[in-house]
Order: sequence, then structure tokens, then C-alpha cells
Amino acid sequence: MKHISSLANGVALGSAGVIMMSVLSGCEAQQQEQQQQNRFLVIEQQANGKYIVAEEMPTDGPNRAIIREKDAQGNTIERFMSEEEMKALAEQEYKKVQDGTSETVQSGDSSAGMGLAGTILAVAAGSLLGNMIGNALMNNKNFAKNSASTNKSAYSRSAAARSSKSSSSKKSFFGGSNAKSSSQGSRSYGG
Amino acid sequence: MISLQKINSLNDDVLEELGFTWHTDSDATKYINDELVVVTQDEAEAYYLAGNEIYDMFVVAAEHVIENNLFFELGIPFNLVEMIKKSWENDVHWHIYGRFDLAGGLDGKPIKLIEFNADTPTSLFETALLQWALLKENDMNENRQFNNVYDAIKENFKRLITLNEDTELFDERYDGWKILFSSVEGNDEEEATTRLLQQMATDAGFNTSFEYLNNVRFDEDGIFDADENQYEYWFKLYPWEDIGSSEPELATTLNSIMQNQKAIILNPAYTLLFQSKGIMKIIYDLFPDSPYLLQTSFEPINGIKQVEKTVFGREGANTKIIDANGKIVEQTDGEYDNYKKVYQEYVEFNKDSNGEKYQAGLFFAYESCGLSFRKGSEIMDNMSKFVGHVIA
Repeated sequence: MKHISSLANGVALGSAGVIMMSVLSGCEAQQQEQQQQNRFLVIEQQANGKYIVAEEMPTDGPNRAIIREKDAQGNTIERFMSEEEMKALAEQEYKKVQDGTSETVQSGDSSAGMGLAGTILAVAAGSLLGNMIGNALMNNKNFAKNSASTNKSAYSRSAAARSSKSSSSKKSFFGGSNAKSSSQGSRSYGG
Repeated sequence: MISLQKINSLNDDVLEELGFTWHTDSDATKYINDELVVVTQDEAEAYYLAGNEIYDMFVVAAEHVIENNLFFELGIPFNLVEMIKKSWENDVHWHIYGRFDLAGGLDGKPIKLIEFNADTPTSLFETALLQWALLKENDMNENRQFNNVYDAIKENFKRLITLNEDTELFDERYDGWKILFSSVEGNDEEEATTRLLQQMATDAGFNTSFEYLNNVRFDEDGIFDADENQYEYWFKLYPWEDIGSSEPELATTLNSIMQNQKAIILNPAYTLLFQSKGIMKIIYDLFPDSPYLLQTSFEPINGIKQVEKTVFGREGANTKIIDANGKIVEQTDGEYDNYKKVYQEYVEFNKDSNGEKYQAGLFFAYESCGLSFRKGSEIMDNMSKFVGHVIA
């Protein structure tokens, strides 16, 4: 029954769910110095065990994430990850970048996802480790490509779509002025 | 008698941190109840189906009102009629969300439609978020609720662009158009409700912003925030009938804006047809055999217990319960007495063991999407309490 649906751990509540999760779990939002736009992330484990970013929302609060994984029985488990935990994983992965073993800087197809630490570093390096490191990583072609392909969130896709459109392709939000027939039964608002 | 399950309530600090500041009513009682209504899967399913069927009847009834020019009968301010017609003609004026108020649905009592809050429904924060938080806080299975409100409204925002059920094409078709959200400054509940809707639209992928109503600038070229940014969409948590009667100049300007296709206003003007309790009479005439409808008339109904309401009363104001002999057994005052009256067959709400009454609120965003309850006395007013639910 799709409509009486699961809200497991607030994931269906989008960015509001992340706020709810963090308040209910006692991780209050602490103000911190802004460097790069912080995010709420929903990171999802794929059937192959790798991770992708399923949702991404900009936030004025600290970085936070919900990690959605499968347990041994195949049930979906979700856990909340604070900024400190994300930072620790990002730092650990960044060490691997420095010695060249991180998958974030490998060439090849990363669209199937990466490990959890790699995924977090790939999408939030700047806001977790600072702009200098973030920018340096983004200058690495492989890293930039992996960062883009591991991020499947609507936010990053629509941001990319927006920036790539020229003003000449401007469409009308009014959907053309052709009114649809309003004859009985033709309307599509109903269930 | 309905069954209730006792739970731990959310404490006020947590509620405030979530942005929910209206947790205590003016008589110092808690607005969020520390019990849940226990609903069976079949009851939840029946509410779902009822909302979908009732919405379809509203669409037919609105079409009937427009074709037969029955705006006066519904008490619609004359200066809104053109916008109502115009918004009805083009699907870009997409209805984002509404809430049906229903009697029955539990304990074997049939579901009966009381009214449809189609224009500016509140209780959204409670239903979409607190309902979920109550189960979470009490370590209950979060899947046992009929509450897809957040996701359903988010998806429905995408339909402003895709204009049909399938929202897949949103990313491809969306071109950066912005939605401005507005509510009256100084009303926490309305502001939080509006900002929650803004968050849903942002999650859907829209560029959004918020501006208090008094800071929004309108002219024939469009709708602007205080920094002169122009918006393609404007969502106002402000009743259309108040725009028509108290803000006639604004109504004129909005009409030009709509005529010139400078902005789309949400919820659309035609939702005022749904909102008018006068439409309950039209629907009853069109669908007299529907199990969901109560007999409704523009004149007092002979020989049955009934409720007199004004077409645009809110929060139970200006309501009279009249018994079969025409005697008033209960009534409330209010500011809506100048509006036309409708008479609706009386129906009993579901009751708990203390005789407290429960009205179901069923949210609708393209389809029925979530359930909440209000607990109160015979006439549900703004002292009634929010009660969450759990599916047994």
C-alpha cells in the first residue's frame, strides 16, 4: 500500500526530517563559522555495497547526514551522522588521497558509488575540511568527476541544469497560454 | 467508542527547537495531546479512498458553479470571480494542498464530510512532522501511520511544472522559476506553516524565498519581494475571501497580474469555490446518493437536527446547532456573521470514553496523503487539541 507509506527515520520528510532527527536525537545545531555552504545529506548504500548521495539539501546549520544501509537480513537501517563523524571520515579519506590510494582520485566509472568515507569526502570536502582542501581536490579531474557522479540528489542535478541553461532557452512558466479544456472530467487535480 | 493509546508527549523545548511554538493554548492547556487515536488499517484505507472520491466531486461541483454562474450563491466576492474562472481554465494553477474535515471513520461510523479547507489549511506542521515525531519519540513503528504529507506536497509542487501525475520530468522542464512564500507578520503558526511549505518546495527543487505579506510589492508587472526580486509564483497563506473583501485594490492588481501572466498565485483562486461551505449544498444536489455527504441547504431544513454555518467562517466561529424543533442548542460567536448561511444535517463525531469528540483532518495533495485528529466539544474551535494516530 504505497499511499499509507513508510516514513522510516524521517527520510520521506526530506530536509525537515533531518532537522527532526537531529533535534530528537539530541544533536543540537551548533553555530559555526561559515566557510562553504553546509549540507544535509542522505547517503544510500547500493546493492553492490557502495554508497551514493540520494538527497542533498543546503543548510545554515552544521553538516549532517542520514546513512541508509542494509543489514544482514536485507532490512533498511538508517542512522544519523553528526558533523564530527562526517569530518573524521573525510579526514581519514583525505589521508588516502594524499598517499594516492583513495578511490575518489582514481579514474574510471564511479557512478555505481564509492565507499562511505569516499562519498562523504567527494560531496562535502570543502564544507568539512575547509575551502583550501576542497578547492585543491576539485582541481583534480578524477576527483571532480567522481564527486559529480556519486551525487544523485535532485538538488545537485537541478543546480547543474540551471547553470547550463542559456537565457535564450527560457521557457514560460505559464506553460503556454493554451488553456486546457475545463470540461467536466478532464481535470487532473483529483486523486 | 474509539480507542486511544497513551504516549509520552514531546517536551516544550524540543517542540520549540523544531519551530513549533504554539504548543500551549491560551487557557494554558497543551495543544498536543498525549494520546494517539488507534486506527485500523481498513479505517485508514477508507479515509484514503473517501478523500479521493470527495475531491472528484468537488471538481464536478466547481465546474457546475462556473458554468451556471452560481458565485453569488456561494458568497464569493464579485471581484474574485474573474480570477476564479481564469485559474480554473489553465492547469498551471495547480492546487497544492487542502484538508478535508470529516466526522466518523472510526468505530463503524460512516465517514461524513463536514467541509473542505482548500485555500489556507493549517494543522500541517502537526500532521506532517509532529505526528511522525510522536511515534519516533515513543519508539513506535513509524510505518504504522497514514502520513505521507511531506512527500506528497513536495511531489505536488513538482506538478506545477510537469502538470501531470508523473513528476519525473521536473528536472528537465524546470527553468529556475522562483516561488515566494508569504504569511502575515506576527502569527507564528501561520509563518511556521508557510515556511514548512517553502521547505517542501525547496526539497522539490524550486528556488524559493519568504517575505511577510506587508513587505511584498505588487504591480501589473508582477510580484516582488522587498529587494525587488521578481517571482513567477506566489504562495500566500492568506484567505482569498479576505483579499476580495478587505483588500480590493490588491484583488484588482492580482487580477491584472494573472491576466498578463506575470505570476501564478497559490493556492489558486478557484480553491475559494471549494472553501465556501455553500458548495456543500451544490455537491449534495449533484451527488445526493454519496455516502460521504450530509444533506445541506441554503434554507433551514425542516424536522432534523442541523448545523447553521457561515459560508466562510473559520475555527468554528458563527456556528449554531439547531435541534429538530428549531431550537438552538449550542452556538458560537465570531466575526463572520455577515456572510451567507448554509444549513447542514447534524452528525455525531466519534467519541472517546470521556465523551470527548474527534474530528478527522484528511490532507489532500493530488491524492489523500495524511490523517490527523482534532479533539474538542460539539463545535470544534481553536481550543481543540491535536491528536496523533497509530495504525493498529
